[in-house]
Amino acid sequence: MGLVQRAIEKAGIPTVGITIVRDYTEKVRPPRSIFLKWPFGHPLGEPGHVRQQRAVILEAFRALYTISEPGTIIDLPFRWRRHDYETDQEPGPFVP
Amino acid sequence: MSILTRFKHRLIARLITHFPGLADRFTAAYQPWESGEPTPWTTVCKPLNRCRVALVTTAGVHHAAQEPFNMHDSDGDPSFRPIDAATIRDDYTITHDYYDHSDAEQDLNIVLPLDRLREMQQEGVIGEVAERHYSFMGHIDGRHLVTLIKQSAPQVAEALRRDRVDAVLLTPA
Repeated sequence: MGLVQRAIEKAGIPTVGITIVRDYTEKVRPPRSIFLKWPFGHPLGEPGHVRQQRAVILEAFRALYTISEPGTIIDLPFRWRRHDYETDQEPGPFVP
Repeated sequence: MSILTRFKHRLIARLITHFPGLADRFTAAYQPWESGEPTPWTTVCKPLNRCRVALVTTAGVHHAAQEPFNMHDSDGDPSFRPIDAATIRDDYTITHDYYDHSDAEQDLNIVLPLDRLREMQQEGVIGEVAERHYSFMGHIDGRHLVTLIKQSAPQVAEALRRDRVDAVLLTPA
């Protein structure tokens, strides 16, 4: 996935990727990533968990606007099935 | 690749879901492509509430009428499928033997979060959701890596440019 991300960024469109295998992402070095130690097939979390899915997307957008060093991976503090998303304050607005 | 081998891959994928510790052994066995080239970089210059946002996934999602990804080649399938945001929710299928997609079949948003992006468009968090998104199968290796790097990834990048997309979120499986 990182290879596709690199190609898109190279074409002039800013990108951010979610990764669940940190080791691969460290090697492929796409421009901006957020890492979740979550099971395969669940980059946005659990089915039907709107608040959780939303939190991941907003963190991805935060990474898009804050990462300034190419290849940075941000480790998110969301533990699988052990994080309370209800009380988190959502990030934003997203401006350069 | 035989039916038995495909069955084995799917069985391993299910086992990994139930015993996540097993995943480390499989990821350690695979060596991703490493580049000597510097990481490409494009500066974000628009506020998000004026950006057209597209998704690119490697979760093997496609429309039911599209040709499934080739699961018989051990090097994977480097091709991609354009995804129509307006209709995918009602006619999607997932062709990918290397992860357990039973949860994604219940809720597409865990790999392709179009409903969440639409909500964010309504709230004014993002400018708009692109009409077209792009899907790969991932798990690409050997000779198909070159096809991906030289052909299909640049083709998708070009298509996103034609679609006047301002920012891309990539989701794995």
